[in-house]
Amino acid sequence: MNHHLISLTLIFPLLGALLQTVVQTPRSRWIALAASLAASICAMILIASMQAQNADLQMTESFPWVGSYAITYDMAVDGLNALLIVLIGILFPVLIASEWDQKVGVRGMQGLFLLLQASLFGAVCAQDLFLQFFFWGLSALPLYFLVGIWGGEQREKAAFKAMVAGSLGDALIFSALIVIYYSVDPHSFSLRELAGGKLIGKEFNFLGLELPVSGVAFVLMSAGLSLRAPIWPLHGWFTEVSQEAPSSVFVALCAGVVPVALYLFVRYCYVLFPETLNSASKWIVGVGILNLLMGGICAVAQKGLRRLLAFICLSEVGLVLMGIGSLNPVGVVGAIYQQLILGLGLAGFGLFSGIIAERTGNAWFMNEGRERVLGGIVTRAPVVSVVAGLVVASLLGFPGLGGFVGHALIIIGSYSIHPLTVLISGGALLLASYYLFTMYRFIFLGEVSQKSESFQDLTLRERAYMFPVVLSLLFFGLYPKPLIELIRPTVLTVLSTVK
Amino acid sequence: MIVKEFLYIMPEILIAVTLAFVIASEITYEGEQLRLIRVISLLGLGSAFFYAVYSYQYGSVPIFGGGFCLDGFSLFFKLIFITLAALSIASVGQTREINLGRRTEYIALVLAASLAMCLVASAADVILAYLSLLFLNVVSYFLAAFGRRSILSTEAAVKYLAFGAVAGALFLYSLAILFAYTHSLNIYDMHRALLVQPLPPRVMLVVFTFIFLSMSFQIGAFPMYLITPDIMEGAPTPAAAFLSVGSRAAGFAITIRLLIVVFTQPGLTAGHWEVLGGIDWTQIFSVVSGLTMMIGSLLALKQESTKRLVGYLVVAETGFMMMGLLVLDQVGIAALLYNLVIQVFALTGIFYVLAFIFDEIKSDRIQDLRGMLKRAVFECVCLVLFLLCLVGSPPLPGFIGKFALIGAVIGSGRYPLAVVGVMSMVLSSVAVTRLSYHLVGEFKKPATILTPELGRKVYLAVLVIPMALAGIFAGLVLKGAGESLGFIFW
Repeated sequence: MNHHLISLTLIFPLLGALLQTVVQTPRSRWIALAASLAASICAMILIASMQAQNADLQMTESFPWVGSYAITYDMAVDGLNALLIVLIGILFPVLIASEWDQKVGVRGMQGLFLLLQASLFGAVCAQDLFLQFFFWGLSALPLYFLVGIWGGEQREKAAFKAMVAGSLGDALIFSALIVIYYSVDPHSFSLRELAGGKLIGKEFNFLGLELPVSGVAFVLMSAGLSLRAPIWPLHGWFTEVSQEAPSSVFVALCAGVVPVALYLFVRYCYVLFPETLNSASKWIVGVGILNLLMGGICAVAQKGLRRLLAFICLSEVGLVLMGIGSLNPVGVVGAIYQQLILGLGLAGFGLFSGIIAERTGNAWFMNEGRERVLGGIVTRAPVVSVVAGLVVASLLGFPGLGGFVGHALIIIGSYSIHPLTVLISGGALLLASYYLFTMYRFIFLGEVSQKSESFQDLTLRERAYMFPVVLSLLFFGLYPKPLIELIRPTVLTVLSTVK
Repeated sequence: MIVKEFLYIMPEILIAVTLAFVIASEITYEGEQLRLIRVISLLGLGSAFFYAVYSYQYGSVPIFGGGFCLDGFSLFFKLIFITLAALSIASVGQTREINLGRRTEYIALVLAASLAMCLVASAADVILAYLSLLFLNVVSYFLAAFGRRSILSTEAAVKYLAFGAVAGALFLYSLAILFAYTHSLNIYDMHRALLVQPLPPRVMLVVFTFIFLSMSFQIGAFPMYLITPDIMEGAPTPAAAFLSVGSRAAGFAITIRLLIVVFTQPGLTAGHWEVLGGIDWTQIFSVVSGLTMMIGSLLALKQESTKRLVGYLVVAETGFMMMGLLVLDQVGIAALLYNLVIQVFALTGIFYVLAFIFDEIKSDRIQDLRGMLKRAVFECVCLVLFLLCLVGSPPLPGFIGKFALIGAVIGSGRYPLAVVGVMSMVLSSVAVTRLSYHLVGEFKKPATILTPELGRKVYLAVLVIPMALAGIFAGLVLKGAGESLGFIFW
């Protein structure tokens, strides 16, 4: 049976983006917000009407697209992607509200945000590899323009680098898709048909070598995704974008695109290559630990909020990778839960750092000599300080906030790999509490500096868009049960094919 | 039934009548008749288009003693050519590169070229094929030289002429050898003769090499690709748009028909062909295809002129489309045709926006594009979309075409070529990103915003909408292309 909710979540933002080209400015903002909100409401209804304790794909919508290549428009949700839909649903209306007063080309910017929202929804829901890749490729374009047009001094260079890395990554994924497509008979892109080890034992001939399909495709896909999400040491473009992009755009990247990339990795690994995953899990965990530590160490050295955010993102990605590679139900559930939470946490961080940068002129909290530049904002603007405090606490995994659930589950799950990983991740968290508290202390506490003297507290609009982020961090921290119950059955099912 | 045979070539007749009308009115009227001429020629092309669609019902029939054949394959190409000519004529009023007094001449040349292309697509007789190719090329030289005052344009035309002469001579020579061995001018008769008595391998090699060289001139493949960027840069931009698709598409039409009919035989499974004779020319083709792709996309990276950059991208596209032919099956050729359809819209759009920008800033240097996005948002966004579609960036329909081509070579086990293809795709999209990097630049600086013109927007919408539809209904288009091939030969 065909539900049309998923298509509605796609059509609303696309329609909104299209209207941006016609409608004039004051009204166009309301249309953008309405389109984004309408899609989010559809997404929330979608999640609310999912059956818990059901591991299958639900709310399916499917019809043939390119018949001669067996490409279908096949959309569905299950435990692996449900939380991403929640995340995108929360994130994009917030971003559109945060760029409400954009002076230059506000219609273009919001149109691109809407396009990005639609493409990420599509990439998350698609159950056909080709369709999924189609949306995933689409998501690179709005980001390129968002960075290239509205960024800082070096914006074009940063956008160029991001685009080159992205198109290289997409080409790698594309190669993997083709190899997979031609290795099964009848040729198919459908994730449903390819699921459950259909690729085991398949080989193809390349320059006289017999190569295993799943191994090669796994390597290509992971490499391709790591060029779109920041993986140490391929993160050069990412930090550059963090420096140049407007804060809302960087939030869209690190809280929207990066979790989706992680989701695609989970989907590919667990559905397409269960047997390769078994042997590669150590590598995934290794890369995860490397990222966790490198992200942490680099974050300690940062003096600006922008790069700090980039490296926090890097280390969070490492943590999620650890969970994915743990092959343990608790760890994997944690990794998937953390995709949502890291998105929300980074979004909160990016947004309040954007507000600080806007009011004080830049986003530096230390000068060259590592001395305080700002300070004492808590007395001038208590609401910002509380919001920032909650976001930072969630990033650190304080009990009662979303981060706690995710971190705890991943760390418990990672015990099954090696007890040492628990120690390492604990160490990384300690490191995180050092740099995050230093940041917090330097900005919000202490003497009131000259710059923070006239610091304004959040306006009504800013409160309105920070509220859903903070509220959901609290809610998902205090009451994770319904979401976890959505994830668990699917995770258990896919894990049973791995072992 | 000679009357019925004239019915079969009705599209050509309609174009010829339109052409005659345009020439006559150019001679008789002075001054302000351009609008009338444009409308009449668009009407003529439109009726030819509908008649070509209508002609699908005739199936495949040989006409005039088999020298001319009407089949789905030729009709598909005719639809492409007629669309292209109509698009070119519709845009002629909006460019300043072709000055007012000479627009009628331009329309006449475009009509003549499209007539020649339609003949090429249907030719089953080598003499007809040669003559119509020559007709096409002579008109193309004029089109390339249309910017008479520009040195680049003259240089392009002279180079085009020199290369064309060599290619024509090689083609004629190879046809003469074929005739000597088969005593026939009709390619289907040649095929039957070669089935009974194949060419000796050495002769076969010579014939194939000559035909291949002359065809590589027509489609802009290695080693004769050298002039393609020159023509794209030198010719007036609207003419470059027309030549970049039209001349190559005609080349592909004749190449596919000639190679498939003369040098292959139907394979064991339907829709497959096998190499006829001792030499596996598909190997040569795959090397050339890889080289063309890599050369095109690598050189595109370093260009300073936008038109030249697009010229090299076109070369890379040619390499891509050769992949569809060398697999020798219907799926591959259908993919090739699909790519051609996409390119009609993408390349026309690219050159249209470039012509508009050239009119505004009087330069086609990439550096001078800086800040254009701010000045003309709609046009520049369309330009980037067209470029990305051309190189096959994922969300755009060009990607489905690339996928189909790469899929075709993988289906036949040529993985290295597929790897080269993917690499070339990446390099091309980097080249496009570099162009759009300059386009996007200095967006925040205040600049005089160019007055939006309704005609321009409508024209671009006319290009973007079918392009998007070709992506959304890719299944239908691919099926249509496959079915057109279904009743092509024998």
